[in-house]
Amino acid sequence: MTNAIKLIPASQFSIEQLAAIYNQTRVDYMVPMPMNAARLAEYIATYDVKLENSLVATTQDGEMLGVIMLGVRKDRAWITRLGVLPNTRRGGIGRALFAGLIEQAGPLSINFHMLEVIKNNVPAHQLFLKFGFREIGELLVLRRSPLTQPQDPVVADAQRLDRSDALVLVGHDRGTQPWTNQSESLFNANEVSGLLLTLADGSRGWLVYQRQKFLLTRFAFKTEVGDPAKVAYALLSHLHNQYPRLDTQIENIQINDPHLPALYEMGYIESFRRIEMWRGIPPASLKGIKKTE
Amino acid sequence: MTKILLIEDIPDNVELVRKALSRTGYEISHAADAETGLAMALAQLPDLILLDLGLPDYDGQTLAGWLRAEATLVDTPIVVLTAWPEEAAKEVVKSYGCNGYIIKPIIKINEFIAQVNSYIKTP
Repeated sequence: MTNAIKLIPASQFSIEQLAAIYNQTRVDYMVPMPMNAARLAEYIATYDVKLENSLVATTQDGEMLGVIMLGVRKDRAWITRLGVLPNTRRGGIGRALFAGLIEQAGPLSINFHMLEVIKNNVPAHQLFLKFGFREIGELLVLRRSPLTQPQDPVVADAQRLDRSDALVLVGHDRGTQPWTNQSESLFNANEVSGLLLTLADGSRGWLVYQRQKFLLTRFAFKTEVGDPAKVAYALLSHLHNQYPRLDTQIENIQINDPHLPALYEMGYIESFRRIEMWRGIPPASLKGIKKTE
Repeated sequence: MTKILLIEDIPDNVELVRKALSRTGYEISHAADAETGLAMALAQLPDLILLDLGLPDYDGQTLAGWLRAEATLVDTPIVVLTAWPEEAAKEVVKSYGCNGYIIKPIIKINEFIAQVNSYIKTP
């Protein structure tokens, strides 16, 4: 099967074609997460996906069979959107796409790759292990319905931050984050703003987020002083009172994130889990990303 | 005439639901994404909304929360169409103010029609 396929840079296809093949590869997934062209374009821009280094597998006749994408930030790469049409799986196309992508990253002098795989997606997980990826930890996808009983805002000195002030904060060191939650993702995203809050006992922290038309998403928390769960609860109480009609979905929260108890207390529920995997030695640029860089 | 709004992005599934409900006499309209679905729901005030959870702009949960918050749609039955495990479907129904769920794939047409009928309020 793999002898009969061609690997073509994704930049040779339109966004509409790429959205179509991506959706077709996931049509039988339990959580298919389809994307229209606008959503895919936003995804590409937010996550620094390089279409010239991403690949589409086709038949010799040009029929699209699968896709894989590569995000690049300095000396780091991220592998995403791997999918193969359901009726052509088990023919080595996924492996060929994956191997082709790793090869593409070679000339870019990138020796560190990150990815996430949905927990219990055994074939994909096995493939990544075979390519030398190792498990780093579990990530949670959480959401909160706008119908959840709102909590009164915690008494605090709360200050709303516009985009530029929010992005200065998010550029501070937040420790090692999965690709989707790294500072660059927020620098690239639209409609980003934030909340800075000080409690009566001196606890202090901030939350930066993206407000879409119907959805709050892309949360970045930092507790500067005090108990992270307490600070996060106060921040969330203000946020959800400010936007009572918006649904909330946050992706790839590390399972040991100290702000997590506040999310559960505020009515967030777990949708599903992913496993974060890395290959290579993490470069210094993975931590301490500054807006000015 | 009873109006059903189907919000579903996969053409084969749309065709299947249309075909299954063709003998009921219901008027079926269709939106392929969440934003169009919201606009059509507000304009048509359907008697029932059949909502796929995997939509290409905003997902079905986000749309359900938004539909439920609209004063003119607050009593409109919303039934989720999903391939998720039953427990997860129940959680969505509970959290997002929906009225029920129908598990895909739709295989038994008569059963599907009976499920749809059970959510339509008789005047």
